[in-house]
Amino acid sequence: MAKDDEKKESGEWKEFFWNPRTHELLGRTASSWGLILLFYLVFYTFLAGMFCLTMYVMLLTLDDYKPTWQDRLATPGMMIRPKSDPLEIVYNLEKTESWDSYIQALDNFLAPYNDSQQAMKNDACIPDQYFIQEDSGEVRNNPKRSCQFNRTMLGSCSGLEDRTYGYQEGKPCVLIKLNRVIGLQPSKDEKSPYVSCSVEKGQKTAQTNETSAAVEYFPPNGTFNLYFFYIVNYSQPLVAVKFTDLSFNTDFNVECRIKSSSLFKISERDKFAGRVNFKLRINKV
Amino acid sequence: YGRSDSYRVATTQDKDDKDSPKKKKGTKDLDDLKKEVPLVRITLKNHFRKLSLFFSSQKGLTNAKAREFLARDGPNALTPPPTTPEWVKFCRQLFGGFSILLWIGAILCFLAYAIQAATEDEPAGDNLYLGIVLSAVVIITGCFSYFQEAKSSKIMESFKNMVPQQALVIREGEKMQINAEDVVAGDLVEVKGGDRIPADLRIVSAHGCKVDNSSLTGESEPQTRSPDCTHDNPLETRNIAFFSTNCVEGTARGIVVCTGDRTVMGRIATLTSGLETGKTPIAKEIEHFIHIITGVAVFLGVSFFILSIILGYSWLEAVIFLIGIIVANVPEGLLATVTVCLTLTAKRMARKNCLVKNLEAVETLGSTSTICSDKTGTLTQNRMTVAHMWFDNQIHEADTTEDQSGASFDKSSLTWVSLARVAALCNRAVFKAAQDSLPILKRDVAGDASESALLKCIELSCGSVKMMREKNKKVAEIPFNSTNKYQLSVHETEDPNDNRYLLVMKGAPERILDRCSTIMLQGKEQPMDEEMKESFQNAYLELGGLGERVLGFCHLLLPEDQYPKGFAFDTEDVNFTTDNLCFVGLMSMIDPPRAAVPDAVGKCRSAGIKVIMVTGDHPITAKAIAKGVGIISEGNETVEDIAARLNIPISQVNPRDAKACVIHGTDLKDYSQEQIDEVLRNHTEIVFARTSPQQKLIIVEGCQRQVNTHLAFQDCLYSSGAIVAVTGDGVNDSPALKKADIGVAMGISGSDVSKQAADMILLDDNFASIVTGVEEGRLIFDNLKKSIAYTLTSNIPEITPFLFFIIVNIPLPLGTITILCIDLGTDMVPAISLAYEAAESDIMKRQPRNPLRDKLVNERLISIAYGQIGMIQALGGFFSYFVILAENGFLPSLLVGIRLNWDDRSMNDLEDSYGQQWTYEQRKIVEFTCHTAFFVSIVVVQWADVIICKTRRNSVFQQGMKNKILIFGLFEETALAAFLSYCPGMDVALRMYPLKPSWWFCAFPYSFLIFVYDEVRKLLLRRNPGGWVEKETYY
Repeated sequence: MAKDDEKKESGEWKEFFWNPRTHELLGRTASSWGLILLFYLVFYTFLAGMFCLTMYVMLLTLDDYKPTWQDRLATPGMMIRPKSDPLEIVYNLEKTESWDSYIQALDNFLAPYNDSQQAMKNDACIPDQYFIQEDSGEVRNNPKRSCQFNRTMLGSCSGLEDRTYGYQEGKPCVLIKLNRVIGLQPSKDEKSPYVSCSVEKGQKTAQTNETSAAVEYFPPNGTFNLYFFYIVNYSQPLVAVKFTDLSFNTDFNVECRIKSSSLFKISERDKFAGRVNFKLRINKV
Repeated sequence: YGRSDSYRVATTQDKDDKDSPKKKKGTKDLDDLKKEVPLVRITLKNHFRKLSLFFSSQKGLTNAKAREFLARDGPNALTPPPTTPEWVKFCRQLFGGFSILLWIGAILCFLAYAIQAATEDEPAGDNLYLGIVLSAVVIITGCFSYFQEAKSSKIMESFKNMVPQQALVIREGEKMQINAEDVVAGDLVEVKGGDRIPADLRIVSAHGCKVDNSSLTGESEPQTRSPDCTHDNPLETRNIAFFSTNCVEGTARGIVVCTGDRTVMGRIATLTSGLETGKTPIAKEIEHFIHIITGVAVFLGVSFFILSIILGYSWLEAVIFLIGIIVANVPEGLLATVTVCLTLTAKRMARKNCLVKNLEAVETLGSTSTICSDKTGTLTQNRMTVAHMWFDNQIHEADTTEDQSGASFDKSSLTWVSLARVAALCNRAVFKAAQDSLPILKRDVAGDASESALLKCIELSCGSVKMMREKNKKVAEIPFNSTNKYQLSVHETEDPNDNRYLLVMKGAPERILDRCSTIMLQGKEQPMDEEMKESFQNAYLELGGLGERVLGFCHLLLPEDQYPKGFAFDTEDVNFTTDNLCFVGLMSMIDPPRAAVPDAVGKCRSAGIKVIMVTGDHPITAKAIAKGVGIISEGNETVEDIAARLNIPISQVNPRDAKACVIHGTDLKDYSQEQIDEVLRNHTEIVFARTSPQQKLIIVEGCQRQVNTHLAFQDCLYSSGAIVAVTGDGVNDSPALKKADIGVAMGISGSDVSKQAADMILLDDNFASIVTGVEEGRLIFDNLKKSIAYTLTSNIPEITPFLFFIIVNIPLPLGTITILCIDLGTDMVPAISLAYEAAESDIMKRQPRNPLRDKLVNERLISIAYGQIGMIQALGGFFSYFVILAENGFLPSLLVGIRLNWDDRSMNDLEDSYGQQWTYEQRKIVEFTCHTAFFVSIVVVQWADVIICKTRRNSVFQQGMKNKILIFGLFEETALAAFLSYCPGMDVALRMYPLKPSWWFCAFPYSFLIFVYDEVRKLLLRRNPGGWVEKETYY
C-alpha cells in the first residue's frame, strides 16, 4: 500500500512537472506560461516606470547644494587621524614598524593641505567671520569658494619639520577634525570654536587633569576659525593635538570636545557627536 | 433450582459477551463492530430457557450472588469515552496545524542567533527577539484557543444528567430500591411507566407495557413489550427492553441479561468512541496553505542563499540570510487572525443556538455537500400529533405546527362536535398538574402517546377537556387490549334532563366500522351504505399512506328504556350492546415535522446540498415525513410510485427514471459497497428506513466516498470525496455523528451519547439552525480567504528590503521590530475585521465548494498577494525610504554598495552625496527613521489593501463600506502607527523615530494605484466571466 502510494505520488509529481499528455510544464501549457509571463513583464515594466516617475519627481524637489533636512546633524561629529578600529593609538617606541602606519596615514591625510595646493584651490579669508557667499536671487553664486587651511598652520604637527609627527620621541600628534556639515555655524558670536582635550590615566578613579601641562594645540588654542564653515564643501579645518608629557606603558583615555557658544548637545548614545574618545599608550621597554 | 439456573444463564451469556468488546478494541474493523450476533444468541438462549426463567423470576438473586456478579462485571454504567487529558489538549493547540510553522520559524531564529553569537562579538539581537516573539505568539494563541474550547466543553458538561438513576430489583424475594449502577446480570427488575430501563431486560411478565425506543431505533411510536419472542433480531423482538430507553406506560418484570457496556446501548457507545475521525476540511486547507507558504519560503531562501554565495558572502552569513528569508515568510499574525476569526464565527453561531465544540468545525458545515439527517426528533417534533381527520365524508387537515400557526379546519360541523366529544371522553390521558401557565402543546401528559395527541388536539380546538369529562361522568370503561383492538367507555350526558347514557368507542378503524350500522353526516345519523364504506376505505388508505396512525371513533346514545339511569354496566362480562353504533369519523396521528424544517431543507437544496434521510423508523412513515419536509420533493417519484402509477411490476421500471428512492434496512444489509455507491450516485432524493446504527455508519461512509455531481470526471479520479454532515439526536445516530465530517446533535432532546459524538450542538433543537451553520461556514471560508490575502500581501514589502539589503548592499530599509509591528500590530485589527465582512452574493444560492479545486489559499491568491499588490506595496515602501535618505543627503546613486561602510561602527565620518559627514549613530537614526517611514508606508498601502480585500469579485462601490469594524480598523492602525512613530521614548524602546508630516504621503500614490488596479481587475473579472483574468486572478 505505502509503496503504491509513494509511486503514485512520485508519478503525480512527474506529471506535474511535465505532463506529456497535455504538454504542460508545471501545470501550464506553453501559451499559458507565455501569457502570464507577458502579463508580469508588462505589469512590472509599468510599475518600474511609475517608480522611476515618482523618484524623478522627488529628485526634482531636492536642492543641489543643500540637503532638505539637516536636523540629524545638529551636532557635528568629531574624528581623529590616524584612525583605527577600535579607536586607539598604541605603539612601541623602539619598534619603528609599530608606528610606521600612523605616520603613513597622517602623511596621506595631510597631502591635500600642502600650502601650494591650498593656495591654488582656496581663498585666503578674513579671520573670525563666516565666509558667506550669498546667492543673488535666482542666480546661484556657484561654485562657492573655500578658505585655505595650510599645513604649516599645524606647526610641529605638520610633519614638515618632524617627519614622524612626534611619534619617535613619544610625543605623538593626533589630528582632530570636525565632520563637515553644510551651512553649519558652530558659533553664534564672533568667537571661534575650539577643541579641548582631557587626558585621564586609565583606570584611575582620581581625575588628574593634565591638559595644560601635557597637551599642545595647533593652531594655537585649538581653534577652528569661523571662516572655514558654512560654505558648501568647505575644506575641513584641523586641530592638531600634541601630547607632550605622556608616561610610558600607561593607558590614557583622551576625550576631546568641541567648545563653542552654540552649546552642541552631547548625547549619551552617540560617542562621536561633538566629542571624540580614544586610547593612547606608548610602550617602552 | 431456579436460582442456580438463572445463574447459569447469566454466566453463559456473560462469557459470550465478554470477549466481544475485547475483539472490538483489538481491531477497529467496521465489520467486526457490526456484530450484533452475540446478543441474538443470548436472546435465543434465554428464549429456550423461558420456562426456567419464569421460575427463577419469583425470588430473584441472593444478595451474595448479586455482590459476586457486581464484583465480576463491574457497575452497570457506560464507560465514559476515554477523555484526552487536559495537557494533551493543550499541546494539540500549541503544536497543531499552523503553530508548527511558527515553531519552526522560532527555532530557526534561535539557530541563527546561536550562529551569530558564536561567530560575532556583538551579535545583533534581532533574531533572538524574533524567536522569542514567535514563540510568545504561538503560546498566547494556543492558550486562547484552548480556553475557547474549554468553554464549549464546559457547556457540554452541563448537559450531563447528574441525577443517579434508581432501579427496583427483587432480590431474595424482596423488592428493593437500589442505584441503577448496582444492578447486575440475572437481577429481577420491575419497571413501570415513567421509569428508565436500568439495563437490557428480558421481559418475563408485562401488563400493558410500552417502551419508547426512539433514541435507540428511531421509531417514534412507543413499542409494546411482552414476554413473547416475536423476532430473531433482538432490536425487533418484543421481549427485550433496552438499557436507557423509557418505559412509557404499564408495568413489566424482566431479568437483566446485560449490564453496562455490554448492553445494546453500551455497544453503540463503544462503537462510537472507537471510531477515528478525520481532519476537518479547514485543517486540510490550512495544511495546504502551509505547504504553499513553505514552498515559497524555501524557494526564496535557497535562491538567495545561492545568490549570496555567488556575491561573495561567507557561508555563515549566507546561512543567516537563508534563515532570515525563510523566517520573514512566516506570517506571524495569521495564526492569531485565523483563530480570532473562527472564534468570532463560533460566538456568532452560539448566539444563533449552534454550539460548536471544536473551533475548526465552524467552517465544516459551509463545505458540506451532503446532509444525512435522522428523522425522529431532528426533522420531526418527536411527539404524536393529530394530523388529519375524516368526517362528513371529507378529510380535514389539523394544525401540526409547534406554534399553532398553521391552517385550521371548519369546526362548525356538528359531526366535529360529536367526534371531539368521543375523542375527549374515550381517552385516559390527563395533563399533569400545575402546568396551566404553559402553552397546551408544551404541557406534559400522563398517558399513551396517541391519547395525549388526541387530548391536546381537543383541548386546543374545543377548550378544557377536564370540564367536558366532569360534565359527562364516566360510568364504565373497557380499556384497550390487543384482542378487542378498541377502547370503550360509557358516560352520562351533559343534559341533566337526559337520562340516557352515552357510549363512546375508539379503536382500529376497520374494527370500529364493523360495529357500526350508521354514520354521522353533518350531524345527522344516516345508514351506512356501501358507498360510504368505500369512501371510508379510501380515506383510511389515504391516511395510512401518509404514514399516519389512524383511529376510528363511534358513539351511541343508549336507549333509556333498555339502560335506565343507574344501570349497572359490567365491563368484564359485557351486558350492553357494542354493535350497531354510529360511526363518527377517523382521526390520524403522526409525529409531525418541525415547522422550520421544510424551509431549511429547501434552503439546503438551493445551496446545492443533498439532504438524505436516514431513520430507524418504518419506510411508510419515513417517506411521508420525507415528502412533508421536502426531502422527497413534489413531483419526484420512487420506483414503487412509478410502478403504481403505470400499473406495471416494479421490475419493469427503469430505476434511472426514479430520482427518489426509499431503501429498507433489510435490503441495505445485502447491498455491496458498489450498490450503495450506485444508489447514492443515481438518486438525488434518498430515504433510508429501518436502519441500524451500523448501517447509518455505512451510509455515511458511502456518502463520503461520493463526489459532487458537478465535478469534472478528472477530479473524480483524485477525489477524496464529499464532505458529509450528519444530524441526529438518538443513541443510534452517534456512530454516524462521530464518523461524519461534522456531526450535529440536538441539545434538548438529544441523548448524551450523541452529544458527545457530535461536533456541533443545536441548542434549540431547530434543524433550521443548520442553514445558519452552512451560511456562517461559507461566509467564514470566504472571509478567511480575504483575511489571508490581506495579511500575506504585506509579506512582500517585508521581505524585499532584506533581499535588497543583501544583493545591492543598501542600508536596511525595514527592520525586524518594524516587521513585527506590522504583523502583530497594525495588520491585526483590519485582518480580523474582514471576518465581519458581509457576503458578496447570495452564498446560499451557490454550490458547495469543491474541496479539491476551491482551496482556501491557491496559487492565484499568492499571485495576487505576492506578485501584484505586494510588489506595489514594496515600491511604496522603498519610495519613502529613498525620499528620506535623499532628503537627508544620501541620494539613491550613492546608496548602492554603501552597506559595509554604513554599518561600520568605527566609521564616524561617512560622507553623503552633499559631502557632509555622518557619525555612525547619526546615520543609524536616519536608517531607523527610514524603517519607521517604511512601516508607515506599509500601513498606508494596507489601507487600500484592506479595502480591495473586502471583495473578491464585486466593486467596493457595490459592496459599500458598511463594515464598521473595518472602518474602526483603518483608524486604529493609523493611530497605532502614529503612536509608534511620535510617542516619546519610542526611539529608545523600539528605535522608531518621528516622521516629518510630508513623509506620510510618500506611499499615497501607491495606495491609490493599488485601489485603481484592483478595481480595474475586478471590473474585467465581472465583464468576462470565465476569462483569462478570472482564471489567473480570481482567488
